[in-house]
Amino acid sequence: MSALSSKSAQEISDLLDDYGIKHGPVVDSTRSLYEKKLREAMAKGKKAKQSPDKTYYREEEDEVTYVYRTPVRSDGAGDSGTYTRLRPEWTEREYDHGTSYSRYSRSRPEYSGRDYVDEPHMYDTPSTYRNSYLKSTPMKSEAPAAPKSSRLIPLWVQFVFFLAVAAFLYIVFSSMESNEPIKGIE
Amino acid sequence: RMSNTSLKHRNFVGEPMGDKPVTALSGVGEALGRKLADQGFDKAYVVLGQFLLLKKDPEMFNEWLKDAIGANSQQALSCTRCLREWCDAFL
Repeated sequence: MSALSSKSAQEISDLLDDYGIKHGPVVDSTRSLYEKKLREAMAKGKKAKQSPDKTYYREEEDEVTYVYRTPVRSDGAGDSGTYTRLRPEWTEREYDHGTSYSRYSRSRPEYSGRDYVDEPHMYDTPSTYRNSYLKSTPMKSEAPAAPKSSRLIPLWVQFVFFLAVAAFLYIVFSSMESNEPIKGIE
Repeated sequence: RMSNTSLKHRNFVGEPMGDKPVTALSGVGEALGRKLADQGFDKAYVVLGQFLLLKKDPEMFNEWLKDAIGANSQQALSCTRCLREWCDAFL
């Protein structure tokens, strides 16, 4: 990752998140410090992501587009809380793009040592990520747009379930009304 | 001198900093004060601003003082401690 100085503040901020470096705003007076921190982290080979040179998969590309970062939801990383990881079933079912799948599967070993590897949790929701998923399958778009949401069951599933239960109860209720009165209650 | 440093520290953390000069900060003498002022940090509250921008992370701030301003370890430590305690009391 060369020329950190040529990156945008947002990119620096995101990189800091990727490496789990707690940070404030990336402004003129803090920038060089954060760049130094990033260089140190990179030199240590902390391997925040699988391939340090490819931070983003841009929407403009034809292939699958998703932002791919390590989960940063560790003890300290409170505020950003972005957590990006693909559900295993997503990559397997939803994507016919060989690249994405191979990238994902390649990265598995990276995460094996970390506590959160077993939790298919929320996904980062930059617009590119959300759009790409919407393109491939509307069903699988992640739940609330807020990156901080952490629902195990997507919100839409909950709504559908609720409606299904309500419909079921309605059917039961209305069919009860048309039944004979319950014996004993006359 | 340690006693002066402690006195500076006590004086600083005991009240709102108002418009105190940057040299009022514990650990900041004339030379360091000048270095700070050269970069626009001429008042204690501006240095406070930097501390806050760094989300009050003492290690980050300490590192910044040394890297960007040229403070030595002792100066940086004093100044960081000073600001931390001031923030704990007043922020």
